[in-house]
Amino acid sequence: MISKRKPWQTVALYLFVTILCVVILYPYFIMFITGMKSNNEMYAIDHIFPQAWQWSNFVDIWSAAPIFRYFINSLIIAGGATCLAILCGIPAAYALSRMKFKGKGIFMGAVIMSQMFSPVVLLVGIYKLMVNINLNDSLLGLILLNAAFNQAFTIWLLRGTFISISPEMEQAAKIDGCNTVGALIKVLLPMAAPGIITTLIFVFINAWNEYTIALTLISTDAFKPITVGINVFYGFNFIQWQYLFATSLFATIPVVILFLAIEKHLVAGLTSGGVKG
Amino acid sequence: MKKKVLSVLLAAAMTVSALAGCGGGSAEETAPAETTEEAPAESGEEAPAETAGAEPVALDIIISQYGNYTQEWWNQFESDFEAANSNIDLNIEIVSWNDIYTVVNTRISTNEQPDILNISGFADYVADDLLMQATEYTSPELQANFIPSFWESNSIDGTVWALPILASCRALFCNVDLLAEAGIENPPTTWDEVLTACQAIQDTFGDDIVPWGLDISTDEGQAAFSYYSWNFGGGYVDANGDWALNSPENVEAVEFIKTLIDSGYCNSAPFTDTRYPLQDAFSAGTLAMMIGPMNMVAADSTVNYVAADLPGNQVALGVCDQLMVFKDEEAENQEARTAAITAFFDAFYEQETYSDYMVFEGFLPATLDSSEYLAQNAENHIVGGSDVTGSSEYFATFCAVLPNCEFYPMQKAEWMDVRNGVIDVEQQVCTGTIDAQTALDNLQADVAE
Amino acid sequence: MIQNNASKKKNAAASFMPYVWLLPSILLMVIMIIVPIYTVFQISFSEVGRTGKIKGLNGITNYLEVFEEPAFWTTLQNTFVWTIAVVGISTLLGFIIAMVLNQEFAGRKFVRAVVIFPWATALIIQSVIWKYIINADYGSLNVLLRKLGLIDSFVNWTATPQTMFAWECWVGIFVTFPFVTFCILSGLQGIDDSLYEAAAVDGSSFWHKMFRITLPLLRPNLTVSTVLNIIYVFNSFPIIWTISKGAPADQTHTLVTYLYQLSFADGKSGHAAAVSVIGFVILAFCASIYMILSLRREEE
Repeated sequence: MISKRKPWQTVALYLFVTILCVVILYPYFIMFITGMKSNNEMYAIDHIFPQAWQWSNFVDIWSAAPIFRYFINSLIIAGGATCLAILCGIPAAYALSRMKFKGKGIFMGAVIMSQMFSPVVLLVGIYKLMVNINLNDSLLGLILLNAAFNQAFTIWLLRGTFISISPEMEQAAKIDGCNTVGALIKVLLPMAAPGIITTLIFVFINAWNEYTIALTLISTDAFKPITVGINVFYGFNFIQWQYLFATSLFATIPVVILFLAIEKHLVAGLTSGGVKG
Repeated sequence: MKKKVLSVLLAAAMTVSALAGCGGGSAEETAPAETTEEAPAESGEEAPAETAGAEPVALDIIISQYGNYTQEWWNQFESDFEAANSNIDLNIEIVSWNDIYTVVNTRISTNEQPDILNISGFADYVADDLLMQATEYTSPELQANFIPSFWESNSIDGTVWALPILASCRALFCNVDLLAEAGIENPPTTWDEVLTACQAIQDTFGDDIVPWGLDISTDEGQAAFSYYSWNFGGGYVDANGDWALNSPENVEAVEFIKTLIDSGYCNSAPFTDTRYPLQDAFSAGTLAMMIGPMNMVAADSTVNYVAADLPGNQVALGVCDQLMVFKDEEAENQEARTAAITAFFDAFYEQETYSDYMVFEGFLPATLDSSEYLAQNAENHIVGGSDVTGSSEYFATFCAVLPNCEFYPMQKAEWMDVRNGVIDVEQQVCTGTIDAQTALDNLQADVAE
Repeated sequence: MIQNNASKKKNAAASFMPYVWLLPSILLMVIMIIVPIYTVFQISFSEVGRTGKIKGLNGITNYLEVFEEPAFWTTLQNTFVWTIAVVGISTLLGFIIAMVLNQEFAGRKFVRAVVIFPWATALIIQSVIWKYIINADYGSLNVLLRKLGLIDSFVNWTATPQTMFAWECWVGIFVTFPFVTFCILSGLQGIDDSLYEAAAVDGSSFWHKMFRITLPLLRPNLTVSTVLNIIYVFNSFPIIWTISKGAPADQTHTLVTYLYQLSFADGKSGHAAAVSVIGFVILAFCASIYMILSLRREEE
């Protein structure tokens, strides 16, 4: 859409995006300057900026609580769940997009239905299950759960991606002597890479940001992900807002960087993957 | 550039898909693998126990998080205890107040309840026949050592079901400097004086200072109900111990809360503000008055304050949390289990240890010997997470106040319904959906059913 | 499919193959989702003590008791308002922003990066920060507005249940619109410029182009974002739980927070399970409508 803009349109455009950026960044700005305040200043309402910049807060959090451990746990949970969800999702999506079989419609329906129940709704059931298979209070349990609750989305996106790619190339590869698995790996997956990346990121973000299951299932401090871990700053007698926000900033940064790095592929993946839902 | 990225992704995709064949299965298989890994570690710990001759016992214990350093203290306790009792393995879990009911409820519904639980309230567990009687596991010496009113406060029809772990009492905290600047000499002693003081502060400071801190959130709204209803002459129960929630005094109390809010004297979100941000605001000097626990002012606060009696009838709320023991029908050796529990309590309530914990968390002891000891020797112990020592004067003062405190009627089976009910009444009345009389009548009718 | 010398054995294997491919996924979902669903249904028909102890089946008593609670009906109403408002406004807002971001202008990359922020931040963190911002006594919004001279005295942003709920909806919108923006943006970039050029030659107005070209071509993208958002927003928990916990007097609950409170604060697991099942039925109903519609479209 390249067209000449009138001057007022240009002004309006910049005004709009400026307001947009200010509104979006405002909470992050608050997070930053509050993370810089000392505890005494937290309730002082005369100043927007801290009187004394406490850069040390950003250092202190690492010793005030096992924040680093929480980060590693979040990484393990989100990474593990992502791998598992994709590993299970690729063959399923392949079967759904390339093969004809009885019960396909029912399976697709069941997949969508499974997305209907949020983990919160099933909390009691999930907890019972996890206790029975001895996986409550473990990282593996969270990995399995996050992978399962993201299956529907994974299959849905991947299936769309696969359908949008013509099966001719794979058939050609098969004539050349590849078996089905070989054709999938050598031909289809590379072509579907953008869609797979999108899916990967989505599952990763969902698992990284998951809060309620981890809150309920994990009781050992050493297994807590960062979303639950920041609760340590909600003490019995006081809330350490400055630490809470400093840690929150750290928890947000990796995900934002991840998003920025793959923004292009994200958009491409959504085009090829999402539209054939 | 784009090609490079794609080829990296491709490589990643290929490794991923190479694993795909066994993906689903391997994940399931790792589950038992992990548990078997843990098993030898555990048996390793138990090994010295068997050589010691006594049968090994493991106790799961859930402790509420009273402060930021609770975990630290219990870690120390655990290692000291296990060194002294090599046959007993303690699994102590510190759970925040935010989550503790969630955690315990789910555990019970899956038959995974802990052996020992530290929580507030025990009647529900008794009703579901989950607890052991306190006399079954408390040594006679320890029983005699509890402050009698505390020991009895955990009884239902003469049977004691839990041990008091610690107590605290609430006082009216006033920022002396702010009151003086507003022309108020002394802390208010009647509810009318409270209104006058609030108005004076509002006139003097406007938005900068909140006159009165109020928490009627679902977190602890029942505490507010207690402060006001008791000090207007009402309360939860009548002289016979039956629920009396719709008394005229209670109606007056709830209406007074509404007046405070409507006049703009309170923090602006009393429905969601818990006590904690209010305490912080008080410590920071931006809140003039609030009713709170005796240890609420932050250690590093520079605020000049007094802790005064509550206005009105001067009845303070005492809060006493409990330790309770769950039955475990599956335990192989009940005697060994009970013996281990007795050992745990004897160790915890031992004068030095228990006093140390009280100073560490800033609460009041529930045993006679520690009360006496702390009134003189609190300086021998330090407050959690700091180098500050305890103050004997503080313990002497507040331990003396404690016998005059009123407690929640926790031993009554309907308590949790009443607790949630009065919070609901406060919130409904203060948002103007219903008048106080009707709301309390409805609650009384619900509870008396 | 290409089959050179098809033997019967190979045919049997081939018809079995799709299920093998589906197996890992099915296993994962059955164990982790279906089993808990079964448990929840079972609990919804059981009498459960306040401590969580299950005392046996009691038919539909839980459901009847839930229906008697006025709070349940308020909650149900809130849930619809919440889902429709958040998804609706996010979609509109996300759409407009996508249209703007599709323009060429200096700093476009930066703005696109900024739009990603709310999406990438954990809901729990967003909720806590917004709760802090809108606090009327020390929150930074009041401080900022007063510094700017826009207000003289502090505004109580959450004075009534309605304003509280409106703020929660705002936070919901804030975290939801970026997803819509990027879905739409990906669609917009797939639209051939020549279509617009042709329309420009015809002298079509902006609105004409919008309704004749842009919207029809974006329909698949809009469908994806709307369907997913409905599910996510309906089931969203941390925002409301962090900001109001349903207070005051259960006026700001949605089904999910309501059942969490029933289960874990009020100790009514049986009622909570019943509410879960009701929520499930509502969503399943919506999903079947969607499936029927999309199947019909495919037939066309």
